[in-house]
Amino acid sequence: MNRRVLATLTTVAIAAIVAAAVVIYFRGPTHGSVQNASQSPVVGKAQKGKTAPQFEVATTAGYFDLSKTRKPVFLEVFATWCPHCQRETAVIDRLYAKYRNRVDFVAVSGSDTGMDGTSASSELDVLNWVRQFNVKYPVAYDPILNVASLYLQGGFPTIAIIGTNKKISDLDDGEITYGELDAALRSVLR
Amino acid sequence: MLLLRILLGGLLLAAGALKAGDPSSLAASIAAFRLLPAAIVGPLALALPYLELMLGAYLIVGLFTRVAATLAAFEFLIYAAAIASAVVRRIPAGCGCFGPKDTAIADWPHVAFDLALAAASGVVAYAAPGALAVDRVLRRV
Repeated sequence: MNRRVLATLTTVAIAAIVAAAVVIYFRGPTHGSVQNASQSPVVGKAQKGKTAPQFEVATTAGYFDLSKTRKPVFLEVFATWCPHCQRETAVIDRLYAKYRNRVDFVAVSGSDTGMDGTSASSELDVLNWVRQFNVKYPVAYDPILNVASLYLQGGFPTIAIIGTNKKISDLDDGEITYGELDAALRSVLR
Repeated sequence: MLLLRILLGGLLLAAGALKAGDPSSLAASIAAFRLLPAAIVGPLALALPYLELMLGAYLIVGLFTRVAATLAAFEFLIYAAAIASAVVRRIPAGCGCFGPKDTAIADWPHVAFDLALAAASGVVAYAAPGALAVDRVLRRV
């Protein structure tokens, strides 16, 4: 086998790998599962532009009642096992450092599965998550998944930004950049 | 030079093999860098492990050594740039260098490591093909 034949075979192999990847992605069963959110089966009734559904939870920083606060609210529904939620903690911590005096932050657990992906979720699991990812903002364990059932948009994390008029100004799932969330918070603070 | 070529090839083989079984996790790792649109991330996650396996095998046997080493150098440079951009933008992206179980966070030491690998690949490309290479046999044919 000479050099030219080997070069041709190599080119064909590379082309085949790339073509197979494109075909599998756009035609195969994996298409749609590649995204920046961990899938959740729940889509709550919360909608952007509509009044935020009422909820109250006990957080690591005290009791939080949506109806009682006069500040805009940054709400995250997360799962401790979700890698996107784990990464998003660093983004939310930066926002919390910047806006903690002007915005109420609350993150609520929204899955019945724990951090290892197999055990049941628990208060301890959420507290371990807080410690492991050095989370600074208030976090709540919601055993009945009430907030998740109201706000989840089909993926973890789901983040809602609620204005002082109690309308939802932003609602999205997946990893959201610092810049996008910063702009959204600035918008409700105007 | 032979040792360097085999080390680089072995590294690429290991990286490709560890990534090959879990394209969804690899896609999540790539997407976390927020540099590429989803339509590219998906196919890239499916193809990259096998391209790395090919590159590694070619380096180890010394086939098309100069081209393979040059491509490896470019690959490591791209990794270094992606990781550096994540560090600068303060994105807590996982390195994902050796598959889904590699939970190391992208940081400056990873950038330095990839730059060192790029430099080593450049040296291999410059001195190609080196000893015990299929390229030497093909030249005689």
